[in-house]
Amino acid sequence: MSPKIRMRMLLAVAIGLVPFAASAHHSAVRFDLTIRDNMVTGIVKEFAPANPHTKIVLTVTDEKGTRDIEYEGHSRNNYYRGGWREGMVKVGDKITLNAAPTRDGSDGGYALGVIAADGTKF
Amino acid sequence: MPSASPAVRLGAALLGLAIAGTAAAAEHPDFTGVWGNYRAPGAAAPQRGAPQAPLPLRAEAKAKVDAYHALVDSRGDTPGGWCLGTGMPGSMLGSGGYPMEIVQHESLILVVFEAHAEIRRIYLGERADEGDLFPDRNGYSFGRWEGNKLIVETTHLKEAVDQGRYPHSENAKVVEEYSLVVNDDGTKVLTSNMTMTDPDFYTQTITAEKKWQLQPGVRLLPYECNEPTWEEHLERLRQGQGEAVSSR
Repeated sequence: MSPKIRMRMLLAVAIGLVPFAASAHHSAVRFDLTIRDNMVTGIVKEFAPANPHTKIVLTVTDEKGTRDIEYEGHSRNNYYRGGWREGMVKVGDKITLNAAPTRDGSDGGYALGVIAADGTKF
Repeated sequence: MPSASPAVRLGAALLGLAIAGTAAAAEHPDFTGVWGNYRAPGAAAPQRGAPQAPLPLRAEAKAKVDAYHALVDSRGDTPGGWCLGTGMPGSMLGSGGYPMEIVQHESLILVVFEAHAEIRRIYLGERADEGDLFPDRNGYSFGRWEGNKLIVETTHLKEAVDQGRYPHSENAKVVEEYSLVVNDDGTKVLTSNMTMTDPDFYTQTITAEKKWQLQPGVRLLPYECNEPTWEEHLERLRQGQGEAVSSR
């Protein structure tokens, strides 16, 4: 895929994804999508790319302690078009999410972007 | 000059028909390919959540639509979130930003939306008998060529208050006019001008324009949405939790 087309697809991700991110279990309405620079680093406990949304569970340590936090992410298809490939994120990897936080301040968030252990961004 | 055998004459006739058929097909623009949302060169990205003009809904229809939004908006529930295809006219007007693939045949045009692997069929040959049709989220679409333009009429829609932009009744009729142009930069642009007539829901006719651009090199990806729920259900069964997860 050419860089131009890939960029177009990434833009499509940015503008078109979120309506499909809500699911029977989760809803994008829980997240404050106006905050787009909230970086969270943790150890991957689960990374399940799926449509309409991806499930990511990280073991995070911060001022509140160490715990597992579940994040919702873009669809598998849009992560693929953003550069993710099978096997890129594995259990035990240290990764960083750009995660729009929950509106009520509880644990969790919507993963707008991912920085894999090898530095790949998608 | 010896006359040709019947077999040779038959072969020549069939060849002639085949050539004529190919020529007839070539008279129409070819929409085959993978298409994504069009953006004019240098244009800014569209803004999500931008205010939209209110729809000319009749009072009863507005009450239905408002009741639907009161039910789901605070939860963020959408048909797509429940692995349900968009349906017309939303499928053709956006489909969540995902690409769509058009496969064009002489008597059928298949539109495959990546999102939810939703499929729309536009029939160009013989119209189906009325008794064979039933309401569906994408309805029944029948098209015809008028020169270089494809005119598609869609009926037999289900009432859909969950359409993101244009909710409609079961009596809605959508007419689309498709045309293909090639921009100066070589980009193929497919334009659809839609008119929706729905006296049950609206006081006026609804019009909208949608543009797609051909995306060479892009392929549609699988979009299986219910698999995690199925796997979760199986896992619960394995753990002896019976019907803890119900189908939906």
